[in-house]
Order: sequence, then C-alpha cells, then structure tokens
Amino acid sequence: MKPEENAWRALQQHASAQLRTGFAERVLRAAQGPQPEAWRQLSARGAAQLRPGFAERVLRAARAAVDMPSLADQLALSLGTAVVCALAVFFIQDRTARQEDERNLASWQQLAMTVADDDVRL
Amino acid sequence: MESTSPTALADLVRRAQKGDEVAQRDLIIAYQHRVAGFVYAMTGRSDYVEDLAQQVFIKMIRALDRLQAPAQFESWLFRLARNTCIDQLRRQKLRRIFLPFGEEHENIPEPAGAVDTEELDALRHALAQLRPQDRALLALVQEGRSHAEIAEILSTSVAAVKARLHRAREHLREHYQPDHEA
Repeated sequence: MKPEENAWRALQQHASAQLRTGFAERVLRAAQGPQPEAWRQLSARGAAQLRPGFAERVLRAARAAVDMPSLADQLALSLGTAVVCALAVFFIQDRTARQEDERNLASWQQLAMTVADDDVRL
Repeated sequence: MESTSPTALADLVRRAQKGDEVAQRDLIIAYQHRVAGFVYAMTGRSDYVEDLAQQVFIKMIRALDRLQAPAQFESWLFRLARNTCIDQLRRQKLRRIFLPFGEEHENIPEPAGAVDTEELDALRHALAQLRPQDRALLALVQEGRSHAEIAEILSTSVAAVKARLHRAREHLREHYQPDHEA
C-alpha cells in the first residue's frame, strides 16, 4: 500500500471516529422532521402545566373581570375627562380674557373722556 | 371533545352563550388541555401556560355571545389562543427593549427533568427558532385545523396558507436536531 493511501485511510478513520454512535439514525430523524409522537409529547407537557381546578379558577376570574371596566371603557373615560378638562380650560381662559378686555376698554374710555374734557377746557 | 359530535358541541356552545355556567365549565374542561398544548407550542415556556390559557378562556367567555356560528367554535377558540399568544410574545419583545436585563430572567432554562425526551427537546428547540406566526401555523395544523380553517383564522387565502406552511415545515426541519445540545 502506498504511503498516501495509508494517509487517506488514517484521515478517514480519524473523521469517522468523530461521529457519535447512532449517527445514521439521527440524520434520518432530522431529515424526516418531528414525528407525531414528539408533537403529542409537546401537547401533553403543555396540558400537564394546568393545576387542578383550572376551570373553576377561569370562571371566577371571568366573573371578576365582568365587574371591572374594560380597556375600551377605561380609554373612553380618560378621553372624556381630557375633553371636559380642555373645554373647562378654554371656557375659563375665554371668560378671563373677555373680562380683561372689558376692564381695559373701560379704563381707555375713562382716559379718552378725561382727555376730551381737558381738550374742552383748554 | 374529539368524541363529542358537532351537534352536541354546537348545543353546548349555545348554552354557554346564554350564560349557562355549567356549559361554560364543560367547554373549558373539554378544551383546556388542547389550548394548554397550543400555548406551550407557541411560547415554549411551561410557566406561561396556565396564565395564558386562563386569558384565552376568559376572552372566550366574554366574547362567546358574539360568536355567530356555534359550529365554528373550535376555529374561533384557536384564533383567540393564537392572538393571545402572539400578543404576549409581542409584549415580551417590547419589554426586552425597555428592560435590558429582563431577557436574562426570561431565558432561565426549564427546571431539570422538565424535558422528557430528546425528540421533545429537539422539537421545542426547533420551534423556538421559528417566527411566532410560523409556530402558530404548525401548531394549528397539529390541532387538526384544515387549510381552509387556518386561512379563515389568519384572514388569508388557502393558497397562502399552503405556501407558508410549506416554508414553516422546511424551517422546522432545518432546525430539528434530535441530538442537539440544549
């Protein structure tokens, strides 16, 4: 046997020694994908997480949830409150500005009358 | 519920719609294991299962009177389950953005002995690599939903469901390594 043939053989042996036992089976299983049994186990494992009395707990929680306002109701209430606050601010600001204008107008009228009186006297 | 005829199921749903608590309890008991399995396939987390399954059934009870066709109850329930899980996964993603250390706490591995077999472990690992939408698709198929039902659940066409399902299965196979190191 030629030395290079020996080397190739040694290389092959080294490479095949890296494969763990059951390599072919694992390749086949990976190629086929998960079998129904794996899905069944997954589902069973999920189901096993539910503690006894699950249905009663759900019904109790659902009854409690009915008494609580829904998210939509809470949002509507928040929106309504914001609109009322905005209207109140607008109304107060408008009234204050109008009162201020009236006061300014009155003082200007007074000033104008005083000036007019002075003009007449002069 | 597999052994219950469609007529009996529709009757049970109608009674539950009228507020009959016994019927509501029977519906929960009939579907709790399947919904829990679906939630587990979607999230891969045992500690989310009870909480999310409870959310699904509370939504079911609150929205049951809006279900027009009692015969389509199963598709409708799994649509609720899918949407609840996807919402939870989205919230989790958002939380990771705002709470940088949250991810470390969320990724605490399942307790020792929790993973039963190599196949189950490989399936959980492979599912975790997929997008939640693809996980939902595969889990719905495992739940026995037809292509037409899935198309209705996802508000898309049957052809689109088939194409997405094909891609999802390919991705699952790519990541499915029964001997992978967890």
